[in-house]
Amino acid sequence: MAAIDFLLDMLATVGVYLMLTLSLNLDSGYCGIPNFGKVLAMIAGAFVVAFFPGRILATMLGMSGDFVTDNASMIFQINSFLASNFLISTALFIATIIVAIGFGMIVGYVSTRPAVKIGSGPLAITLLVMGEGLRVIGTNYAPLAGGSIGISAPDVFAWAGGDRFLVVSVVVFVFSVAIFFFVNRLTNAPLGRMLRAVRDNEIAAESLGIDIVGVKLKTMMVSSAIAAVAGALYAFYSGAVISTAYTRASWTFIPWAMMLLGGVANNVGVVTGVFTFVFLRKLIVMYKAELTPYLPFDVLWLELILYGVMVILILMYRPEGLIPEKRTPTLKMSTLKKMQKT
Amino acid sequence: MVEPIVIDGIVYATLLACMTIGFTLILMSTKIWNFAYGSLATAGAYISLTAAEVWKLSIYSQLLTAFVLSGIVSFVLYRFLVRPLSQRGISLDGLFVLTFAFNFVLLGFLNIYADYLTNVFKLRARLFFLRGADIQIFGTPGVVIISPLLAVSIIVVLHLFLTRTKFGTAMRATIENPPLAGSVGVNVNLVYSVSWFLAGGLAGLAGALLPLWILCYPNIGDVIMLSVFAASILGGIHSIYGAVIGGIIAGLAEVWGTSALSGVFGSGVIQYRPLIPLIIVVVIFLTAPEGITGIEWRGKLTKRMRKV
Repeated sequence: MAAIDFLLDMLATVGVYLMLTLSLNLDSGYCGIPNFGKVLAMIAGAFVVAFFPGRILATMLGMSGDFVTDNASMIFQINSFLASNFLISTALFIATIIVAIGFGMIVGYVSTRPAVKIGSGPLAITLLVMGEGLRVIGTNYAPLAGGSIGISAPDVFAWAGGDRFLVVSVVVFVFSVAIFFFVNRLTNAPLGRMLRAVRDNEIAAESLGIDIVGVKLKTMMVSSAIAAVAGALYAFYSGAVISTAYTRASWTFIPWAMMLLGGVANNVGVVTGVFTFVFLRKLIVMYKAELTPYLPFDVLWLELILYGVMVILILMYRPEGLIPEKRTPTLKMSTLKKMQKT
Repeated sequence: MVEPIVIDGIVYATLLACMTIGFTLILMSTKIWNFAYGSLATAGAYISLTAAEVWKLSIYSQLLTAFVLSGIVSFVLYRFLVRPLSQRGISLDGLFVLTFAFNFVLLGFLNIYADYLTNVFKLRARLFFLRGADIQIFGTPGVVIISPLLAVSIIVVLHLFLTRTKFGTAMRATIENPPLAGSVGVNVNLVYSVSWFLAGGLAGLAGALLPLWILCYPNIGDVIMLSVFAASILGGIHSIYGAVIGGIIAGLAEVWGTSALSGVFGSGVIQYRPLIPLIIVVVIFLTAPEGITGIEWRGKLTKRMRKV
């Protein structure tokens, strides 16, 4: 039983990180936007889950009271209602995901717009500052996500009863697989080549008629939408949204580490990176308890140092990652001639 | 006795200005947005804590230690990580990622050190300030007088260094055009190393004075970093003098601005103080991306006068 729980937990963790890292790969790996604010869109998705579905159900069921202060009792009533209504639960889940996609796009546009024309450094900083800013708002403005205490989200998988954990984990993983195919399709199309052209040489790309600002904005919108889905799914998975938990270290830096480990601008590499990293992390967590008595500090910090050193070593000795980016070969002369004939 | 909010503003703004000078120096010379810069200031704060509580020394006597230690960490980052990587032809974005990762290494070490101080020396090392260890000058805490003096003397010394000494001229030449400076015999790598060392040292110095008035924790530098970004962008990233102006404006806007707003909208506003850098960054990028020193004020004024 414990083994299954462990596997399911790993499945869900891999799923969430896979979505985040794929979206990071789309904007940073393919399009060359140094996105140090990945956590921003993730928070946006989580806040959508914290804000909308619970309130909608509360009004539908005619409940009185404040959603934030009476959160526990209201969520309890809502969950017992959802447990017997499979259709409403699923409809609500899908609607929330769609709203999260919308908000992700808005957040992506708003955060990229100020500095998109100025340069990659300013853009990186704007994204980073925006990510921190949204978290500050969430921590202090209680109606949004319960302030620093956090808020419970309605459990749209309550109908599964005892198998809830299994269902959520599988749903998260299925979403991540779908997003893998979506991103893979995007980046293996001519669009992917265009993104790489923008990344490698902006001036050359512009001279070929590519609207660089537009491409960057659109890429950020799509990638932020994906990250927002990841955030929403993670909120549904954990059943609660606590704004203080959305730190730069765990939701921006670790996806970066995963992407660099697996291979920049290579979706298969990203998948490898995420699996390797999550596995390593689970190992560290397992051995953490054995190390703790010997050290006069929390092992958590050692973990942080380990990830930082890992990223630096990757950058120094294997910048292409585990699986390097594939070159797009030009078509063979014979194929071109055939195409010319037809 | 001076009002605490006045002291808050003065100390924060001048220390922010010191940090912004260093950050902008790195940005001007090597074009790198150093995301690990804030944690160097935290290192300075922890040296002050160690000096006051473990070594039982005056904090002011250990300012040089903080300067040298943070400077060395910054120099190591440049000499052993940034330079070899840029020689291997990594892109600028790759170097941002490098400093971003290095920041987490530093944060890890700072947290470990804080835990070590807490567990071994039984100190309050996770949330601390050392107002009690400060000296009193004319009935006010010493830091209120010393931190503006420090900011002024740093900018004067830097100005003299950059304009009056041979090495300073070489430094300006390198900032202007590295290959050309190299071709007339300037040791470009030495110039870069010195600017990283100086910048790190300034962060350490500012950080060492921080706990004398402001509550410190292992992430403090990382949080102030957001204001440093905003200040540097506000001052225009191509000028050290702009950095001072930007640092003071951004710092005062943060402290006095939020307290003024809280008078209007109620005390709830104070919690949103971290949003001020965000607003500054967005407004500057949308209206005047070159910052205060990048705007041609004279042209603007004469144009308006012609219209009149």
